[in-house]
Amino acid sequence: MTALATPARTKPAAGGPQGTRPPRLTARRLAPYAFVLPALLLFAAFKLYPIAWSFVLSLHKTVGGVETFVGADNYTRLLHDPLFRTALGNTAVILVVQVPVMLILATGLAVAFDSAALRARSVFRLGFFLPMVTGLVAYGIVFSVLLNEEYGLVNWLLGLVGIDSVPWLVDPLWAKISLGLALTWHYTGYNAMILLARLQSIPGELYDAASVDGAGPWKSFRHVTLPGLRPALLLTTVLSTIGTLQIFDEPYVLTRGGPDNATLTIGVYLYQNAFTYFDFGYASAIAYALAVLIGILGLIQFRVLGDRK
Amino acid sequence: MNRRDVLRAGGVLSAGAGLGGLTACSGTGSTGQGGGAAGDAAKGDITVWSWAGPAAELKALVPAFNKQFPDIKVTVQDIGNPAIWDKITTGLAAGGGGLADVLHIGVDYLPGYVEKFPNGLADLSKLGADTYKDAFAAGLWRTVSSKDGRVSALPWEANSAGFYYRSDVFEAAGVDVDAIDTWDAAIEAGKQIKARTGKYLLGIDKPASQADSANFFQMLLQLQGAFYFDLDGRITLDSPEAVRAMTIIKRMNDAGLVNDISGGWNALISSIKKGTAAVVPWPTWFGGIIEETVPGEAGKWGVRLPPPVRRGGLTSATVNSTHLALAGAGKHQAAAWKFVEFVLTRPENQVKIYKGKGIAPALMKAYDDPVFHTPSAFFGGRKPGEIFLGALKADSPAFNYTADYARALKATTDAQTKVLLKGADPAKVLREAADQLAQQTGRKKA
Repeated sequence: MTALATPARTKPAAGGPQGTRPPRLTARRLAPYAFVLPALLLFAAFKLYPIAWSFVLSLHKTVGGVETFVGADNYTRLLHDPLFRTALGNTAVILVVQVPVMLILATGLAVAFDSAALRARSVFRLGFFLPMVTGLVAYGIVFSVLLNEEYGLVNWLLGLVGIDSVPWLVDPLWAKISLGLALTWHYTGYNAMILLARLQSIPGELYDAASVDGAGPWKSFRHVTLPGLRPALLLTTVLSTIGTLQIFDEPYVLTRGGPDNATLTIGVYLYQNAFTYFDFGYASAIAYALAVLIGILGLIQFRVLGDRK
Repeated sequence: MNRRDVLRAGGVLSAGAGLGGLTACSGTGSTGQGGGAAGDAAKGDITVWSWAGPAAELKALVPAFNKQFPDIKVTVQDIGNPAIWDKITTGLAAGGGGLADVLHIGVDYLPGYVEKFPNGLADLSKLGADTYKDAFAAGLWRTVSSKDGRVSALPWEANSAGFYYRSDVFEAAGVDVDAIDTWDAAIEAGKQIKARTGKYLLGIDKPASQADSANFFQMLLQLQGAFYFDLDGRITLDSPEAVRAMTIIKRMNDAGLVNDISGGWNALISSIKKGTAAVVPWPTWFGGIIEETVPGEAGKWGVRLPPPVRRGGLTSATVNSTHLALAGAGKHQAAAWKFVEFVLTRPENQVKIYKGKGIAPALMKAYDDPVFHTPSAFFGGRKPGEIFLGALKADSPAFNYTADYARALKATTDAQTKVLLKGADPAKVLREAADQLAQQTGRKKA
């Protein structure tokens, strides 16, 4: 931007008439927009247009194969839909239980990865980050095989130490726990890496100063590490919240939202309405409700965790 | 920009991206032209979508088809089931873009597609489909045609409710399988089998890990001439027949006769390999699967029609069917129709498919072939073909799947899971399911 306002070179363009604005300057003024244009067009076609169109859809309902304008009907239906409430509740449970557990684990891991006492640190870092690059569907299927009540490896191992087989995916409560376990396995390493990156930017002098002041490991963690991690914690919390609210792949592959809707998330319910029930208007209304929810929660988190000036 | 602004922008963008990702799921309800007679009947390049066994059988028929129609190039693609439903839905929602010319569609999806995407599938009556109106098993024409004369597909396979059983297990338990004349008697037999052999009576996907976990419930409904909806489209999910069906399931479960086969197809196949249950109450097509799965158990299996729910009641019901349709926006409809006609209306081709994969034809003329009337060594000398032909010929009530079948199925499987896992009261959970269905669909309860 500033380069355009104050051209570094004052020599007029070759052949350009004196006194008029050199045409090269107009070209230079337009050039950035030309470079950005393809990306903008793609963004408009594949992001803005679907987002706008789905809002239009959310005001429509298919009646006898014809799109009929129904105003806010889909939204009022949402308010009275017990399954949407169930999906909302299930997603909230994951948000309130799994996300904090995962972030505490990730913080612990980040500190461990950063510690000089840990040997072969890069091997551990790689090991914990690897789940992140596993395909969502692939790991969902692996977990569903591992956790199968009758034929799964986990129950077989538990059986070896005399523990009764656990109905991992069959019982409503255990299905929620299984889903939480799968999510934690998949995303903890990723969050730990973000936290680790931040951790490494905390100046060592702060720890030295703390130790001179007589702070032990716990006190320096509380008063140096945690405040230093704050921005990274905010980032991971917000990203995890957005990710959790949109969660789809894991419950879809692991439990299909069951048993008895115990793992039905907003994403799965949206998918069911669109692709199983062909109710695109209602699915779009769910998408908008979800977007509003994500916006509100994001704002709250920035207020609570963000910098206080 | 300070760090906070960057974070905020990132968060907003991510939320936006999330919305974008989700809204990509949405589509329009409008679809292609749905003409019905496009293209040259003797020339073209057509694609066919099916899954697994049926796809292989379609592929095998292409050389014979090409002898007659050398200028029609047919490509059969195995899309997989259930992946094919998402693919078809997406294509229809996109106005027919990217769809194959010929689509293999189950009865559970067909009415929904027809109602939600009125021009998504071609009108086959314009291609002469009406001439085959009486060629198929009774009741199926109602499934593929509408009151105004549109024909949206041609029937392929018609599956009747079946009762495959391990005759060695029944023998060991001292139970005469042919004497079972109601499902109540089956429960008593199941208790005896459990006590003497330790085997379950049958298996159900208790937590409903797959949509088809309500197959058994639906069969019990249909054996009473009932369904999720009546012919006027009103909800009958909490009818006395439905409560009776769910109560039978509860009694079996409470007596410890139901093996949990959650985990979908693999769990079902594993349970057959392990021989955990004495009865597999699956329809016609499943006989071929059993033979393929446990070829070493020839002679240990038997087959009959299921017992009625009430003494003297129905023992036959067409529990599901699959069909071939043409994409409404397809450019080679006339050529594609030639292929559909070749596969579905020529008895010799249907016989070939039956021999290959045990897929039961809806085409009644195919049953003249001796293959349907020869005893099966695998099923202890019984004649599965004749047994199921009898069921297809029997008077069977019409069932109205409606466009809301998928929702009904979901409400039902949830209700069944409550009964099987928590011992809930069948009448209560079915009433709740019916209310929920009414709230979701705007349909009235009967």
